[in-house]
Amino acid sequence: MTWFLFALMVQAAGTTLLISFVAIAIGLVIGILVCGAMLSPSVVLRGPARLYVSFFRGVPLLVQLLLFYHLLPAIGINISSVAAALVALSLCTAAYQAENLRGGFLSVSRGLLEAAEAVGMERLQRFRRVSVPIAIRLTIPALVNEAIGILHASALISVVGVIELTKTARNFAATTFDPLPFYACAGLLYLGLTYGVLGLGRAAERHLAVRHA
Amino acid sequence: MTFDPSVVIPYLPAMGRGALVTIGLWLAGLLASILLGLAIAVGRLVGGKAINLALGTLVQVIRGTPFLIQLFLLYFGGPRIGLTLDELPAGLMALSLFGACYMSEVFRTGLRAIPRSHIEAAESVGMSRWQILRRITIPEMLVLVLPAGTNIAVGLIKETAVLSIISVPELTAVTSEIGSETYAFVEALTTLSLCYWALVEICSRAGRLLEQRLASFRFAA
Amino acid sequence: MTRRALLLFAFTAGSLALGLAPARADVLSDAKAAGVLKVGTETEFAPFDYIDGDKHVGFNVDFFDEVGKSLGMKIEWVALPWDGVLPGLESSKFDIVAGPAIITKARMQRYTFSSPIGEGTVTLVKRASDASIQKPTDIAGRSVGGGRGSNQLVQLKELAASVSPPATVREYTGANETQADMAAGRIVASAMSLPNALAAAKRRPDMFAVVLPPFGVKAYFGYIGRKDAASASLMQAVDAQVAAMKTDGRMAKLQQKWFGATTELPASVTDPAS
Repeated sequence: MTWFLFALMVQAAGTTLLISFVAIAIGLVIGILVCGAMLSPSVVLRGPARLYVSFFRGVPLLVQLLLFYHLLPAIGINISSVAAALVALSLCTAAYQAENLRGGFLSVSRGLLEAAEAVGMERLQRFRRVSVPIAIRLTIPALVNEAIGILHASALISVVGVIELTKTARNFAATTFDPLPFYACAGLLYLGLTYGVLGLGRAAERHLAVRHA
Repeated sequence: MTFDPSVVIPYLPAMGRGALVTIGLWLAGLLASILLGLAIAVGRLVGGKAINLALGTLVQVIRGTPFLIQLFLLYFGGPRIGLTLDELPAGLMALSLFGACYMSEVFRTGLRAIPRSHIEAAESVGMSRWQILRRITIPEMLVLVLPAGTNIAVGLIKETAVLSIISVPELTAVTSEIGSETYAFVEALTTLSLCYWALVEICSRAGRLLEQRLASFRFAA
Repeated sequence: MTRRALLLFAFTAGSLALGLAPARADVLSDAKAAGVLKVGTETEFAPFDYIDGDKHVGFNVDFFDEVGKSLGMKIEWVALPWDGVLPGLESSKFDIVAGPAIITKARMQRYTFSSPIGEGTVTLVKRASDASIQKPTDIAGRSVGGGRGSNQLVQLKELAASVSPPATVREYTGANETQADMAAGRIVASAMSLPNALAAAKRRPDMFAVVLPPFGVKAYFGYIGRKDAASASLMQAVDAQVAAMKTDGRMAKLQQKWFGATTELPASVTDPAS
């Protein structure tokens, strides 16, 4: 492998990182909405939200990607490769993030909420100033795990035509008929990205740690 | 574009065979993951520093890279270092190693959560170290980690779909072939999604049922 | 959200979906209006389409550059794994497939082909070091392979069944997986069309050699479009481009550049052998 090809692999790793980041961010927003629906007292909201989580956690991402890419045009929505990959990755991670957040909200202790009520906080205030900050802190480790999961899952998005790290390795393996060095290099780059994300996550955790007085 | 699910019907037997391959791969991969995962977890616990470091690095590398890359390295890169495997054994091996590394981490957490007092009690009745491991620590740990273990097991079902990329004749590969033969991609993909969804739901529910059944064996942690 | 709001949301989303449904009057004029023609392909198919460093190159790239020039459009490439390319064409991800694909009866029933742009008779490729395979029938009793969904695979299966003892045929996701597996020794020969076989042997003479003569029936490569009326004008424009480039010698130049030889091509294939 030449330095030139290596530089192109690093560039492709940048694409992988960017797409994963965008997917995680969109997924977090959708995840919060789905989590809210799951925790809602209304069956009309809870039912579809549960179905959503069950479906996106029940179908392999590879199949979801193909489904979004090829099925959406059948109902008149034709999206580009990158959009299809982002939609599939975001919707999939949102299901996992919603479950994580739900776990976080359910772990906020009743005592704290009662205390907040006792000092006269409104329902929305309690939610915004007690539940949300605590739930988010509690779910940061899970969010970091999920981010790494999506980073790895993005290795599949070339099936809908996005050229990222894995596909670049595949292209070069095809041109040279020598797969080992390219897949090994891709593996090392993924390893670097993974532990980079993990390090950032740990730092965020420390920064936001619930301090005990 | 029309949507006509009936085109898939003549191919259901073929899909059934693909589903059997998927389930077979999953069960074999899961069993290997649990055994190998246990070996890694226990090895790291009782082995020396060097063994712990070596196994720890393996686990970090596997958990730090996508399954697809591991699969490509083994299947396409393997021959370069003299490891030439057919797609099915290569797929199974990659799946098992992947599952084992995730399982081993769950097992380690579980092993650490077992109270010292249980082990001391076993020691006081004269059990050997191996006996304690086999009859106290591991069974208690397995009950403890059942929810996390079920998650990994269910994740492995979905990971088997990736094996279609190296042409293992499992459900996804069979179905995309049907799609290209009949040009009914959308119908085939929809059926495929429903198959996996059902499989995953059944397994998650089975896991939860098992959890409830074994709840009485769970010590109050 | 109340139930009514939900219904309203569903209704709006539904009508949005309907509103987005492609109103396809004519693919070519739509592409001209947008200034972009979307072309689907697989980038692991040298010499037609492959990645050389940071560049997508090959016969197709040069050909469609000419198409873009004469029709005044930019070419936008969409690269998918081969088993996703025809589904992509059907779901209008792009308007023509540059694969190219062998013109076959089965495919002609479903798609429109352009005029032939290259000869694609099926040939065996073997390891350069393997002296045991000198002619196609030498595969008797051995393992051979080809890309899933490819016409080469269909013909390879026929060859494998006709020799005694029959050869075992393995299927791969693409031509390069097939080649890599042959290099690894799992199969002794793979089926490729002549230009691909020559390209592989030219790039890695240390690894591959072509088993001549080609064993398959005479076949040609063409570009693929949808069969609907909206695609007709685009396919006619591509045919006109092929004809013009044959007349002024540009086609021969491209063939020489990418295939290392020039071949006579029929103006159209109406009754392919398979």
